[in-house]
Amino acid sequence: MAVDTAYVRMPEPIIASVGASPLGRTDLPGRDLFSVALAEAFDELPDPADVVEAVYVGSQSESYEHQIMYGTLLAEWAGLRHVPAERVEGCAAAGALALRHAVKDVRNGEHEAVLACGVEKMTSAGTSGATDALSAAFDRAIEQRSGVTAPSQYALLAQRYLHETDATERDLAEIAVKNHANAARNPRAQFPKEVDVETVLESNPVASPLKLYDCAPVGDGAAAVLVTTAELAADLDCPQVRVAGSGASANNIAVAERDMTDIAGARIAAETAYEEAGIDAADVDIAEVHDAFTVCEALLAEAVGFAPTGTGYQSYLDPADRADGWTDVQLSPSGGLKARGHPIGATGLLQALEAYEQLTGAAGDRAVEGAETALLLNEGGVADAVTVGHVLTTAEAQ
Amino acid sequence: MSDDTLDSSDPRTLPGFFDALADEELLGGVCTDCGQVLLPPRPACYACGSRAVDVEPQSREGEIFSYTEVHAAPPAFAADAPYTVAVVELADGGRLLGRVNADYADVAIGDPVELTVREPTAAERDAALDYEADWPIHVFEPR
Repeated sequence: MAVDTAYVRMPEPIIASVGASPLGRTDLPGRDLFSVALAEAFDELPDPADVVEAVYVGSQSESYEHQIMYGTLLAEWAGLRHVPAERVEGCAAAGALALRHAVKDVRNGEHEAVLACGVEKMTSAGTSGATDALSAAFDRAIEQRSGVTAPSQYALLAQRYLHETDATERDLAEIAVKNHANAARNPRAQFPKEVDVETVLESNPVASPLKLYDCAPVGDGAAAVLVTTAELAADLDCPQVRVAGSGASANNIAVAERDMTDIAGARIAAETAYEEAGIDAADVDIAEVHDAFTVCEALLAEAVGFAPTGTGYQSYLDPADRADGWTDVQLSPSGGLKARGHPIGATGLLQALEAYEQLTGAAGDRAVEGAETALLLNEGGVADAVTVGHVLTTAEAQ
Repeated sequence: MSDDTLDSSDPRTLPGFFDALADEELLGGVCTDCGQVLLPPRPACYACGSRAVDVEPQSREGEIFSYTEVHAAPPAFAADAPYTVAVVELADGGRLLGRVNADYADVAIGDPVELTVREPTAAERDAALDYEADWPIHVFEPR
């Protein structure tokens, strides 16, 4: 008898547990950072070997530790062995790409439980080592050979944004102030301290108009996110967050050939995730966006539909004080990449961790009251060279 | 051009593009379907997906579209820092990133510049991969 496919329902992926290592300058290599993150995620669960069916590892660069094969390595260190395991590469979007693979595996019925994790040991070779490793994300033929760096690439976006809009360097500095204030209430943050706007404005130029305090820090870190079916999450007695939508898009590798203020890849990734979730941008209560540099939060607020064109820089203002057409969304409640920290391959999963804690009532005194829907927006390369968007909702929300 | 003739003499490959650039000829891909300029040339148009891409000489004159000053440089360029980098919109419509031979304070969006070409320095050759060692470096000069 033929199966009526209208009644075949794809399993809905659930985030069932999360964990992270300390962030910043640590004395632990990458695999050990992962072990710390995994121990937190499985603290109240059976051993990973009794649950996990596949592993994806987001990892930016082998140059930090001269180590590839991170899928194999971390599966083994988790006590798994004969499971599908692979490293996912997409510079700073590697973490969310790993999450997306886990989500798709659960959604299409291939696995009931997949571990998405990310790790980066960025402090192994100092600032120049990190600068060099990150520059591998740029087009080799033109961009790398012209001597650009990550901050200078984003400075090109910032210069253009300041030229086209009413935003000022002080507005960008206020975004850093806001994200540091959020991080001050986040015990996981690399920089859990407030800063004032003068400190940001007077910090050393890195790539004009961007200054040191406009930039996310270099740091080590790992994160682990367990994605399961709802049935398994219930069996494991885990607080549940639904992954209601997932989208991804690439764009040109060279910044010069893109629209530098309409971040199209981010718009497409977010709209795809909204459509899958059946929501609009206005339904999003909290967003963890890829604020690797302050200008990113402004650009992304516009790209994902929170703010009218040219007003995204108002993300630091209370919703009532923003321009007409802004939503009430709260951005980067964790402190963002800027102050929570940005261990490249782990960042997309740290974003998921923050949303999980916010949506399960575990965010302590940084909890955004009434938050039921979150957008995660993780970018790799410069800006939207690749972007991954996820919509997470509370288990109750429909 | 069809793809089955693609080899290193073809300017839709990087060796072919840089060979022409060494002779101070800037070649761009031009999509015959939508007109998009592709710098450097490549076999397919990112704007519309067409593979009907012609290769045509491009004007080396253009205007600063955005710019910055690199303070913390990659190791291979550390001795040159700080230096100015810009995205330049060329007269024929393509956009290209490159160094600018001017102080940051003397540059503004809209300033006219011209693409020039020089041989790589010893430091740049040291940082180059084997196959890149003779590729020229382009620099924008104010005009």
